[in-house]
Amino acid sequence: MSTIFGWTYDEHNKSHRLFRRGVIVVTSLVCFVAAWWDVSILANSVAIPSPAETWDALVNLVRNGDSITGRSLWEYISSSMKTYLEGFALAMIVAIPLGLIIGYSKTIHDFASPVIEVLRPIAPIAWAPIFILAINYSIGPVLVVFIGIFFPLLTNVIFGVEKIDGNLIDASKTLGASRLQVFYKVMIPSAIPYVMNGVKIGLGIGWMCIVAAELYAPQLSGIGFFLSEQATAGFWPGAFAAIVVIAVLGLITTGLAEYIHKVVTSRMGMSYV
Amino acid sequence: MSEARSKEGEIQIRIENLRKVYVTDESQTVAIEDFTLDIKRGELISIVGPSGCGKTTLLRMIAGLLEPTSGTITIDGRPCSDPGPDRGLVFQDFALFPWRTVRKNVEFGMEVTGVPKEERRLRAEEYLRLVGLEKFMDARIHELSGGMKQRVGIARALVNDPEVILMDEPFGALDAQTRNIMQAELTKILEKSDKTIIFITHSVDEAVFLSDRIVVLSKRPAEIKEVIDIPWPRPRDRASPEFTALRKHILDELEKENVLNN
Repeated sequence: MSTIFGWTYDEHNKSHRLFRRGVIVVTSLVCFVAAWWDVSILANSVAIPSPAETWDALVNLVRNGDSITGRSLWEYISSSMKTYLEGFALAMIVAIPLGLIIGYSKTIHDFASPVIEVLRPIAPIAWAPIFILAINYSIGPVLVVFIGIFFPLLTNVIFGVEKIDGNLIDASKTLGASRLQVFYKVMIPSAIPYVMNGVKIGLGIGWMCIVAAELYAPQLSGIGFFLSEQATAGFWPGAFAAIVVIAVLGLITTGLAEYIHKVVTSRMGMSYV
Repeated sequence: MSEARSKEGEIQIRIENLRKVYVTDESQTVAIEDFTLDIKRGELISIVGPSGCGKTTLLRMIAGLLEPTSGTITIDGRPCSDPGPDRGLVFQDFALFPWRTVRKNVEFGMEVTGVPKEERRLRAEEYLRLVGLEKFMDARIHELSGGMKQRVGIARALVNDPEVILMDEPFGALDAQTRNIMQAELTKILEKSDKTIIFITHSVDEAVFLSDRIVVLSKRPAEIKEVIDIPWPRPRDRASPEFTALRKHILDELEKENVLNN
């Protein structure tokens, strides 16, 4: 218990905790905007618009769309979301089964790890020019997002399979489970919280990749294209508005992933990793 | 119980010249050395010994989860080289599947061996009633206390109708009071069955309370120091003179092994 401005804070009271958290979050954001404002005044440069100018550009973007191309904000967002979801789906389809098999078989693990270790440290964005210019502009950004999500997801799935409680496997064997049954009735469910953790991390990284990937694919008309178009034209408040949009969409996707992770893990009766 | 669990029964499990050596790159550890023991059908045999003496190794070899370095273990003449539903195992840390409900945990063995759904449900319910969990059939594992978790573990092993039940310090993770309750309950549950039970424990009190026979092991490598028959009826009185005398005798034997921790 502590008393602030005559108000007594009780940490065992949920609404007190939420209120405290809310005050801190708001204070933090206010400080951030104030600092941004200061920097924009001190720098006195057109390339750093103030929060107010950015806000105006954002409102204008939402109401009237892109003044250069005439496209609406929703067109940009839906194009980016489509690329993002395709890359994410592809990463799930490839990384989850692959991770389960690699985690299960030591031979496959030893065979695959050199390749994984060579490719993993390469920044996903480094692939962008190659995928987009050499393959094609509609698949390219999807592949960049795929790479961004693939590796964190894969390593989490492998880790999840390797972390399985050996007693659970022994228990299932003594109850009569075959090797295949041990795999899909024990190993796969045990790995689910780790898979979800990988999904959560991957979604964040995938979102970072998309914008960079779209810089190379103007044909796609994603939000990344809008950002570079505005900056190229010297419409700095518009470029900043694009960054705000990207931040908000990123927050929504990772928040959603976090929520799904929590729900799945507790539904499965497992601890939250 | 004394009638149901005949001590004059035939030999069911033969352990002959068993030896287990753990080999790592740097060292060799002999866990079990020249171990020979016959176990009769329907008896409850406890294995007590200093911790780290190889009791669990022995049990896991009977379960078929570990391979002996040399020697043989047979059940009714068949070798125990692989794990199987004829030998149910109850774990110290319960080893329940956290993503399954209580009922689904008990059904696991029947599920993998292809028992029809309706029969699975009925048998799971029957065994959950037997262990007193009829009100918790649809509960999640993390909602249960330690004692309740182990009841699920016992029901899960019993429902497969194994010939032998292997219990690896099943009450070791429970507090003293729950432990006593579980021992009394186990006595009651076993009264209704004629299963052979191999019970690993480092509690001498528990072994004397439950067993038809007690095998006292030396420290590692495990060798048999003494095999004690306990022909007393159940439930047993922990305060009776013969109970305390036997407990003291075994404790003294283990004391000589010098590594007792209970």
